[in-house]
Amino acid sequence: MSATRADDNNLIAEIVDGDKTAMRALVEKYKRKAYFLALGMVGNSDEAMDISQEAFIRVFKSAKKFDQKQKFFPWFYSIIANLCKDDLQRREKRDSKAVDLEESDFLLVDEGNPETKLIRKEEAAMIRKALSELSFEDREIIVLKHFRDMSYDEIAKLLNIPKGTVMSRLYYARKKLAKLCHELR
Amino acid sequence: MNSGEDKYKIMLSGYIDGELSSDEKAELEMHLKTCSDCRKELEVFQELKEVTGAMKYADIPEHVWDNYWRGIYRRLELGIGWILFSIGAIIILACMCYGIFQNFFLNPDEPLILKIGVGTIILGAIFLLVSVTRERIFAYRRDRYKEIKR
Repeated sequence: MSATRADDNNLIAEIVDGDKTAMRALVEKYKRKAYFLALGMVGNSDEAMDISQEAFIRVFKSAKKFDQKQKFFPWFYSIIANLCKDDLQRREKRDSKAVDLEESDFLLVDEGNPETKLIRKEEAAMIRKALSELSFEDREIIVLKHFRDMSYDEIAKLLNIPKGTVMSRLYYARKKLAKLCHELR
Repeated sequence: MNSGEDKYKIMLSGYIDGELSSDEKAELEMHLKTCSDCRKELEVFQELKEVTGAMKYADIPEHVWDNYWRGIYRRLELGIGWILFSIGAIIILACMCYGIFQNFFLNPDEPLILKIGVGTIILGAIFLLVSVTRERIFAYRRDRYKEIKR
């Protein structure tokens, strides 16, 4: 058993016993990861903050149900993903359209040259728009690979799917993303 | 597209991410020499990767991270508060309804089954009232567009 897995599972066991310091330790360890994953899915910092905090609360409330033989993070991620799906469905229902990703939540890596910067800015706007048009499953795999820079092994473990499925899901998601970008040009 | 081509197309993803074995990589490179369709798609994917590679998420100020745990703790406490509030509200409303319908419930001439039916309806209505009120308050607090007139 890896150290991280043992650490996380020990923390969960302590949380079941009502230990608040264990709750806090878990939050400190995963807060940024949870927030940025949610941000990638819902594209809005306020909603991402709300979702990531709610995900921790759900962990605390259902810690007893956690299977100690499993890894903590994939379980935690499934909670985040479900909350993101619910949030997007709620917002799409309310606004009757796909939820746009907000410009302020993305920064451009400094390219130096002002001309390149301008081109990059336009391309980033296009990607944001295209991402918001993708299905949740396609956006999820794109975010994990392109914006969280996870390896296929890490994604496979996180989503509990074979490595080959990661590759094919990425292919089809990229194909759709490229098609949307092409249409937006 | 036949299944062989399909396989190579899917491998394009693994190729640009450096996730193919050396044998797979060699096989795909061999295929790319003869397939302009796959070469074109590879170019598109590489461009996509380049553009997204130049984008990163904006971080949030450090003080927000410092208050992150406090936000969770406050929500946990609020949750407990809401549970207690709901239980209290249900008990008080049930007592009030019992006071209003006391004569009916204490009347020995009324059939027991009718009393059970009326009591269940009243309790159900109270649960619904408390639950809907709670949901409304939650929805109002979470609605970031409440100031905007639709």
